[in-house]
Order: sequence, then structure tokens, then C-alpha cells
Amino acid sequence: MAAPSAVGLSRRLRAWLPRIMPVRWSRYDPSYLEPEVNKELYQKPPEKLTEEEREQMELKAVRPIKAAPPTLSSSVFSDPMVSKFTNMMMKNGNKVLARSLMSQTLEAIKRKQLEKYHKAPENEKEAIECNPYVIFHQALKNCQPIIGLSSITRGGKTYQVPVPLTDNRKRFLAMKWLITECRENKHRRTMMPEKLSQELLLAFNNEGPIIKKKHVLHKMAEANRAYAHFRWW
Amino acid sequence: TPWPFKTTRELPHVKNVGASGPEKYTEAFIKKQIEEFNLGKRHLANMMGEDPETFTQEDIDRAIAYLFPSGLFDKQARPMMKHPTEIFPEQRKIQWGEDGRPFHFLFYTGKPSYYSLMHVSMLSVINNVSSQSSTCYSRGACQDLLSLLMFSQNLAGSRWLTKIELEEMLLEKLSDDDYSRFIHLLQKLVALPCTDIEEEYIQKFSKEVPVQLQKVVIDPLQFDERGVAFSTGEGKRKTARATAVIYDNGTGKITVNGIDILHYFPVLQDREQLLFPFQFLGRIGKHDMVCTVSGGGRSAQAGAIRLASAKALRSFVTEKEVEFMRQAGLLTADPRVKERKKPGQEGPRRKFTWKKR
Repeated sequence: MAAPSAVGLSRRLRAWLPRIMPVRWSRYDPSYLEPEVNKELYQKPPEKLTEEEREQMELKAVRPIKAAPPTLSSSVFSDPMVSKFTNMMMKNGNKVLARSLMSQTLEAIKRKQLEKYHKAPENEKEAIECNPYVIFHQALKNCQPIIGLSSITRGGKTYQVPVPLTDNRKRFLAMKWLITECRENKHRRTMMPEKLSQELLLAFNNEGPIIKKKHVLHKMAEANRAYAHFRWW
Repeated sequence: TPWPFKTTRELPHVKNVGASGPEKYTEAFIKKQIEEFNLGKRHLANMMGEDPETFTQEDIDRAIAYLFPSGLFDKQARPMMKHPTEIFPEQRKIQWGEDGRPFHFLFYTGKPSYYSLMHVSMLSVINNVSSQSSTCYSRGACQDLLSLLMFSQNLAGSRWLTKIELEEMLLEKLSDDDYSRFIHLLQKLVALPCTDIEEEYIQKFSKEVPVQLQKVVIDPLQFDERGVAFSTGEGKRKTARATAVIYDNGTGKITVNGIDILHYFPVLQDREQLLFPFQFLGRIGKHDMVCTVSGGGRSAQAGAIRLASAKALRSFVTEKEVEFMRQAGLLTADPRVKERKKPGQEGPRRKFTWKKR
């Protein structure tokens, strides 16, 4: 198999000479598609596919596909959200530490929920969620803001203009708030898994400082509604 | 040569004059270069003891590499002997006559070939096509052509010309906006039915995407003394190189450089990567694997073994599953390597601290 980027590299180097070097370039040729790791999609019989899926499959049959990154796997334990969160927690490339902290956090969540489960009376036992992944996803969902603020300068003054956010940005903000909240506003001696599990459980129940931060952001956006027309995109 | 056009050699040498752009090559100059090239080719063939009549460009390259060995890194800096049309860039002939009047009616737009392409040729093609389509619809034979075209253009591995290629074709500089308009026009043209007639015209602007991976040959299974089927695969990632031998009728034991994976890869992520191809195919407890790996770091070695095992597993599995593995990204070698440090910067991207004074 030829190196995927040999053809494009000479072009890109040529583009460097009098003009600006493009910063966001990748070692893959632009025609390479993202890999699809989910086993179930491949086991689906061809009749059940929708039009879009059929087109996608035909495109994939002809185009080359990028290599799956080391964080992606088809096992049931690999979750893209959890991987993203682990990467955001990582410092100086210490993935081993970040991953162990993440697993300890999930374990701590499970332990706390099990404690609650065993102490609860019979009729409330079903309402308690013990699956740490479900709690993680739901907590992140609850923390996501719907609308954000962006600074726009008009006539020398900077206004905070309410702006709709993309899905990626919402997820990023939720995760960022969680991590910064745990790193900064807690007592120095508490361990990260403890702090994180506490915050996640609070967010799962729609309480806690991060949910408050989200509500504050929404209120600011509502207050600055008058400047919404400054947005041109 | 006519009066407004002279090579820099013919002009009297004038001091303190600004640069007049790239050197212009006359037709006579290029012709002379081609004659010299052909003569030189024959001399070279005689030197190498080969037949001058059947001396191809590849033979020339080999001869030059033999006679002038160079250790320079940049291939463009090494001695080369190529046909003058490849070395001297194509240049536009002068666009106005002796009276100073331009030949092309769109000369004063600044980009005559581009605008003539867009408006004159494309418009004529579209008009032809729509006049044809009105007759075609009455015959009712259009649906197949439409589907054929969609397939031939979008999916069979062809792409439109890139901006640089178009600039080379038109010998004019284009902006990104011009290029995007051009592509839109091409797409509109393809979407129209009955463009079978003008397919040659469109093919001038499309290129084939290089050969697809369907041509890879999968080795058949080999059998060792005990009668157990096995197959080998090689993989690489960054600087790590790995070979994997997968045996059938196994219990799921994996050995790396003589050490069990639990001891060699203490990190869970690496072991997950090793098991990825097996888990994807649902063959976790069915195979034994013996691998050797060298070079790279922890994660690179795991990635190299993953690729090697995926390649070895192809022999055990149906063609459809091989295609599924390819679409899951298991059979592509990861091309990402460490980016080099550039001079004037601290690292590959990080610049030196900016100091005001």
C-alpha cells in the first residue's frame, strides 16, 4: 500500500513557497474517510439500510479509509465521550494517569450509587441509577448550555452577543466546566476521582455549581437579547 | 521577435531597473533546447552502450543517477535530464498583434482564458445539452444515462481538477471564488440529463483517483508440521515494526517477543488495541498469536502489532469481512509521524517567545 500522503505532500510544499503555509493539514489525503468501528452496522442485512446509509456504503467501497486511532476500539467498553473526557483531563500527555483517574471516577460513582441503593427502601430501589456510564452521559447532557455568548466589537465597545452553539461546542463546554470546577474550586487534598464523582452525581440530579453556571449563562444571554441582531453568521 | 517582446538577453543591459517578472522563453529558445535534449539523449545512450532509438525517459533517469550519484535529500536538487517542456514552465504567447490590439475579445478582463471557458464554452455546452434534452425526454431514454453519469462522475473514483491543476491548464492565476464557481458549473452540467454527448468535454476537467485497495493480494493459509493452519502479517506504526503469526485452533494466548502480553503491555489501552481485530471479527478465543516487535514506543508497538494481526487475519476470513475490516480502519497503516522541527522555531509548531525589544 502506497503511503497515503506522498502525492499530496509535494503539492503542499509547493503551496508553501510564496504563500502562507496552511496550518491545518493532515498526513492523510483529503479523500480519506473516517473509519466506522461499530460492529452492528456491518451485521445489518442490506434490506434494512436507509437511502443515506446505502449511498454512504457505496462511497466507502470506493474511497480509502483512515486508520482507526489507538483510542478507538469496537469493544463495548470504549466510549467516545469517555475518551474525549479522558483526553481533556490529561496533562502533559500522561494518558495512563488520566485513564486511571477516569476509571477510578466511574468506580467511585458506582460505589456511591450502590450504597444509596442498599440503603433505600424497596419501592425507591428501581429509581436509583447504578450504571456509571449512564450517569456520566446524563450529567454531561444536563451541563450542556443551549446558547452561548460571543464578544463582538462595534464602534469601540465590546458587546456580549447571544449566539447558538454547535453540538461539539456544547459538549466541549460541559466537559471543560466540569474539569475546571473540580481542579480549582475544591479543597487541595481531595483526590480527583472523588471530586469528579461528586460533581457528576450532582449534575445528574440537576444540582451543583456547574448547572448553576449554565443557568447564569442562559440568563446573561436572555439579558443581552437586544444585541442578538449584531450576529451576522 | 515583435517589438513589445524581447528576452532579457536581447535587451541592452540597464542598471537599477526593477525585476520584470519571470524570464520569458521564446519559441525559438524552447525549440533549441528540445534539439539539444534529443542530441544529448543519443550521446547518453551511446555512452551507456544502449540503442539510441529505444532510449526512454526511465533509461535516461537511471543513466543520470548512475553517472552523477548525489546524496542530496531533495529529489528536485539532484542532477536531472528531462524534456524541456517539463522543465521550462508553459508560458502564454503574446496576446496582442503589432498594432497593440489584443486578439481575444475578453483580454481586458485580465483572465481571458478563464472567462472564455466559463461563459463561452460552458454556456454553449449547456445550451446544446438542454436543446438535446428536450428531444431526448420525448424519446424517454434519459434515466439510464443520468444514473450512469452519477456513477461515473461521483463514485467511480474520479475527481475534478484541483485549483492548481486548473491554473496550469489555463496559464492564469485564479482566486478561490473563481475556482468554486467553476466547480459549481461542472456539477450543474453533470446533473443535467443527456450529457453523454459532452462527456468528452467534461473528462477534460476530471481526473481519476489513484488505484483503489481492491487490488491487494491476500496470501493463502499455510500449514505447519502439526497440521495447524497459520498465517503471517507485517505491520508498522511510527518507528515500530512488527510481524505476527496467527495459529488456528488456539486458546487466545498472545505472546510478544517471547513475553506474555499481560507483562509486555501493562497498560489496558495497548491490550485493547491488540484484541481489537479479534473482537471485531468475533474470534477472541479461537486463535493463538506469536509476535515480534521492535522500535517505537509503547503505543506505537501496540499499533504495529494490531496492523500485523489484522493483515494476518485476512487469510482466515471471507472477502466481505476483509472489506468490513478495511472500513473499520484496521488495514490502513497510520501515516502520522513526528513532525520535524523547523529552523527559526522552537519545535514543529511552537515559535520562540516574542520579545518586544
